[in-house]
Amino acid sequence: MGRYILRRLLWTVVVVLVVTLITFVIFYVLPSGDPALRFAGKQPTAQVLAQVRTDLGLNHTVVVQYLLYLKRLVVGDRYGWPGLGFSYSSGAAIAPQLWQRAQITIQLVLGAAVLWMLIGIPVGVFSALRPRSRFDRTSLFVGLVFISTPVFWLGLLMLWLFWSTLGWLPGTGYVAFTIDPIQWAGHMLMPWITLSLAFAAVYARIVRSNMLDTLGEDYIRTARAKGLSEWRIVTRHALRASLVPIVTLLAVDIATLIGGTVIVETIFNLQGLGSWVLNGALNQDLPVTLAVTLVATIAVSILSLVADILYAYLDPRVRPG
Amino acid sequence: MKSRWTALGLGLCMGGAALLLAACGSSSSSGSSGSGARGGTYRVEATDFGFSNNFDPTGEYTTNSWGIYRGLLIRTLVGYRMTAGVAGNQLVPDLATSAPTPTDGGLTWTFTLKPGVRYAPPVNRVITSHDIVTAFERIANPSLAAQYGFYYSTIAGMDTYASGKTKTISGITTPNNQTVVFHLTTPTPDFLYRLSLPATGPIPQEVAKCFTTPGGYGRDLVSSGPYMIQGSDKVNIASCSSIQPMAGFDPSSKLILVRNPTYNPSTDSTSMRTALPNEFAFTINTNQADIFNRIKAGLADDSLNAPPASSVATIVASNQKQLIKTGVADATKYISMNLTQPPFDDIHVRKAVNLIMDKAGLQQANGGPLFGQLATHIVPNTMYNNDPSITGYDPYPSAKSAGDLAAAQSQLRLSKYDPKQDGLCDTSACKNVFTVAVNTTQDANEVPVVQSALAKLGITLNIRELTQSASASVVSTVSKNVPLALSQGFAKDYADPSTFMVLFESSSIAPTGNINASLVGLTPAMAKQLGITIPKGDTIPSIDAQSKACGQIPTGSARTTCYVNLDKYLMENVVPWVPYLSLNQVHLISPAVTTWDYDQSSATTAFSHVAVNPAKQS
Repeated sequence: MGRYILRRLLWTVVVVLVVTLITFVIFYVLPSGDPALRFAGKQPTAQVLAQVRTDLGLNHTVVVQYLLYLKRLVVGDRYGWPGLGFSYSSGAAIAPQLWQRAQITIQLVLGAAVLWMLIGIPVGVFSALRPRSRFDRTSLFVGLVFISTPVFWLGLLMLWLFWSTLGWLPGTGYVAFTIDPIQWAGHMLMPWITLSLAFAAVYARIVRSNMLDTLGEDYIRTARAKGLSEWRIVTRHALRASLVPIVTLLAVDIATLIGGTVIVETIFNLQGLGSWVLNGALNQDLPVTLAVTLVATIAVSILSLVADILYAYLDPRVRPG
Repeated sequence: MKSRWTALGLGLCMGGAALLLAACGSSSSSGSSGSGARGGTYRVEATDFGFSNNFDPTGEYTTNSWGIYRGLLIRTLVGYRMTAGVAGNQLVPDLATSAPTPTDGGLTWTFTLKPGVRYAPPVNRVITSHDIVTAFERIANPSLAAQYGFYYSTIAGMDTYASGKTKTISGITTPNNQTVVFHLTTPTPDFLYRLSLPATGPIPQEVAKCFTTPGGYGRDLVSSGPYMIQGSDKVNIASCSSIQPMAGFDPSSKLILVRNPTYNPSTDSTSMRTALPNEFAFTINTNQADIFNRIKAGLADDSLNAPPASSVATIVASNQKQLIKTGVADATKYISMNLTQPPFDDIHVRKAVNLIMDKAGLQQANGGPLFGQLATHIVPNTMYNNDPSITGYDPYPSAKSAGDLAAAQSQLRLSKYDPKQDGLCDTSACKNVFTVAVNTTQDANEVPVVQSALAKLGITLNIRELTQSASASVVSTVSKNVPLALSQGFAKDYADPSTFMVLFESSSIAPTGNINASLVGLTPAMAKQLGITIPKGDTIPSIDAQSKACGQIPTGSARTTCYVNLDKYLMENVVPWVPYLSLNQVHLISPAVTTWDYDQSSATTAFSHVAVNPAKQS
């Protein structure tokens, strides 16, 4: 197992190299023009433009820029380690901002993941235990509604209902847990719900389907014949087998959301990685784009590895030799 | 200009300001309102600060930053009253005891500084003439990338200082701590206007010397105005290594300003700065719709963003329309045509495009009359003090401003692109014309309006919708040969038409960062150098001589008349644009705001003249 993990980690390095390279290429191939122009004023002289390019590190060829980026990533830069440079827009070092914003995004994603698991798994299980019952049909209908509902609309609806109209929850923004845990939870609740509902619906359908398959297996029939209680059959045998694919799905979904919660972060004014990378892309801020891409890539690779390890734990048949 | 359009969403980048125009809609109010009391916090939200140089005044070139500087943080030798309308564009002395008239045939300008004006902490000392010199040394320093440094090349010795050939700027002298003298190489009648720009405000050498890269000083800007960045007093300037960023400014989240304890109101004028709130809190909220919901709910007071047209319509229709405020932005929105690219190399095509354009439709796409008045020429009327010789001028009129097909077709028949003489552009040059558009909501709304209008003349477009920054970058790169650019915008840097006319001078043509997108004045030699071609048989018109002549006339009615005539010449004999909107700045303020005014000079809220009632804030 140790060699397997090591091999996967090395593979992660390769993936990071490929993804950052692709991001670099996209940045220069797309018709986004010269980022230096944005910071050189109305009538930039050649001298000013050259200076801005130098300040932004754009005076080298793309290949050299990429190699310098990798070098600084490994050995650090004037802002410390890892060397992620500075934002073209704000002039501020990337690394501290990345850490600060990543914390917010991680809180958002993990909180939402807990919520969608708490909703999706029980609903899926009960639907499978009573297929085509009123509960099953209702959960199917509600699930389709959540899956079909655009996240931005759901977020705005929640703000209108729970903040603007009812006044039950605080509005947009973020309060750190260390400052005020109650305010923290109040501000995060709507984003968690908004982000989780569609996922909960999907997970409920997957768990239901897996459970139905599992409950039809011979070993379940054998367990029933041996006189085990239905509760024990469901929790100890059927559910465990049904959750194996969910582990992989959960890891990939969490990893994807690390860099992809643009809409929810924007609507609820959570200044995390998603809204940051969006602004970075729109403003030709390559260092920001690269930093978030890097984090998202590492998150996908690492969480995929974690999922595989957990998968092996839950299902001995797939353990690496 | 500050150009750039980056601004018109966040509040025009660039420049300027003036006018007060009338026409901002009957359902809202423009100009000043209310009478407030001292105290409270004025809370402003924005989706993004959009600073162009990290709030370092040497290079910062955005409307919002200029509004904040002028009202709250930076005093210049001359400034503005920061009010709406023509009065808000008139220069008044600020740090200087008076606004001088030049001597030596317009080459020498001498200023005396008011005594006893001090820097905020951590510097605290009295501001001297040497601090003005420091500001200009930073402007001239190429490594700091002063974004409008070109305005000061008229000062003797700026260029040689910039090249490192001299240690001082020979054209700026300081006979004593209270006097600064500028020696120019050529008479520059609008020089006072140039000295009103924030980069020229005093900068303490003992702090600024520690920041040698663009934007660095923005995190530790030392105030000369009534407020300072929160945490200024905690900064240790004993050495460069001890200077840490001021706690009240984080470019990605907040800018908190508190009262400057060394500010002496007796050195200032309440007509310029009443300075009523105890604090200003500028914060980022990524949800634009939420910003305006919070303002309506009293959780915020103002925004650097314009409210969406849909929100404004709802408010105007309600009993809260007094919360909508407008001001004329002194900015023109236009379609740019490239004189080297078929079919726009033919003036008759360019005139036909002006005649067919549905300007009323474009106005609606931008939110309606509240967001801008129909433009019929280059420079906004307010920049001419609403001179009657230009206010009714419209060389391409049409019923309800929806376009005149018959007149456009008549014009097109005169062009080489209508060989069939059927009033339609018949040649391949008119098919799939490469066109750059912008993908923001209002700008994207304009695309079908333009497509529909030009289709009536047989011109079809190959639209490329880009972000604002990408669009600006592509259009300003000459080698891209963009024939047609939609949703372009330009705003003044100061209230002189010359800041617009620079867009058509051949000296503005550059391979990248080119602001003369129509390439007016391009010569065959320049074209060869740029690697582009002028269509055979074409001659690109030039306005260089007229522009230079106007620029040498002292400010006043003669200068205005000269620029009015040049504007008309451009519209009738060059036709580089289809101007369609003279833009307004629209603000939604909270019920807690008791006093509000519009800063015509910066085209923003007049932060120096606002007040809030804390009891009404949520």
